[in-house]
Amino acid sequence: MIDHALSSLGAQVVLATSCDEKHPPENIIDGNIETFWISTGMFPQEFIIRFAESMKISLVTLHSYNVKTLKIEKSISDDATDFEPISEKQLEHIEGHLQTTDIPLNGLTVTHLRFIVTSGFDHFVSVHRISIE
Amino acid sequence: MVKLRARCLLVGDPAVGKSALCHMFRSDGAHFQKNYSMTAGVELLVKSISIPETRDSVELYIFDSAGRETFVEACEKLWGQPSVLCLVFDVSSEPSFTSCGRWLERVRAHCPDSHIPGVLVGNKSDLSSRREVETSVALEWAQSQGLEYCETSTKEMENCEAPFLTLAQAFHASYQDRLQTIQNLT
Repeated sequence: MIDHALSSLGAQVVLATSCDEKHPPENIIDGNIETFWISTGMFPQEFIIRFAESMKISLVTLHSYNVKTLKIEKSISDDATDFEPISEKQLEHIEGHLQTTDIPLNGLTVTHLRFIVTSGFDHFVSVHRISIE
Repeated sequence: MVKLRARCLLVGDPAVGKSALCHMFRSDGAHFQKNYSMTAGVELLVKSISIPETRDSVELYIFDSAGRETFVEACEKLWGQPSVLCLVFDVSSEPSFTSCGRWLERVRAHCPDSHIPGVLVGNKSDLSSRREVETSVALEWAQSQGLEYCETSTKEMENCEAPFLTLAQAFHASYQDRLQTIQNLT
């Protein structure tokens, strides 16, 4: 399932704290690394991905730029409530290159994933693609 | 069209007119606070500024932070990760200008990763007979620190929007610049 656009599987971004209409949050799940969502200032920033049905996930891969600390939460409810923390990451900054982050989830079943960027290496961060296995 | 959000830190010595500047900006010059009331913590003011010649705007979250030394440490905890800086001194008080270097250091310690656009504001420009800091001196120091410079008189309602417009434009420019960088990555 890797490299598959999440949107073609019926996933949606149901919440995002920033929106530049030229770089909407849907770009995160279109499977294309060249399109991206960009935050438009201040932290924290977050977005929530809803899957069409509950999914068993072993690995999430995130492609981003300028993200410093990232928290991930999951929900198993139908309406994006009762999130539980599952992972917290410190990312490295590589000037001029996208950050690739693997987050193993050991076959967790989820209906929603929430990504919270609590700080960045710059005022603005971007997320280019999220893929799951 | 995009709406940016910036955390604007407003700092400087006590009684230089930070809160007065803030209130003048919020009320579009309709409200000058005649009585001094000391800010003990941090006051938050939110106002949106349109960027000229674009359809974009910047929403400024202005953190008006107490100048008195006793409160600074507590206030610093609320500063978070600032996006832009407005540093104010009183042109009729040389010591308030001298303090600016220390304020700048303090703020920069909060943003180790990124450069933050800033403006130095010489307030109380109406007090010309009591002026202790010459425009040229302040301008030169501001430039040496990479800050913009402007003078305001909150009492005479002069130029009160200018520092905030400058900051909004600088923040907008850094957004455009960053977009360019990110687009070139892939």
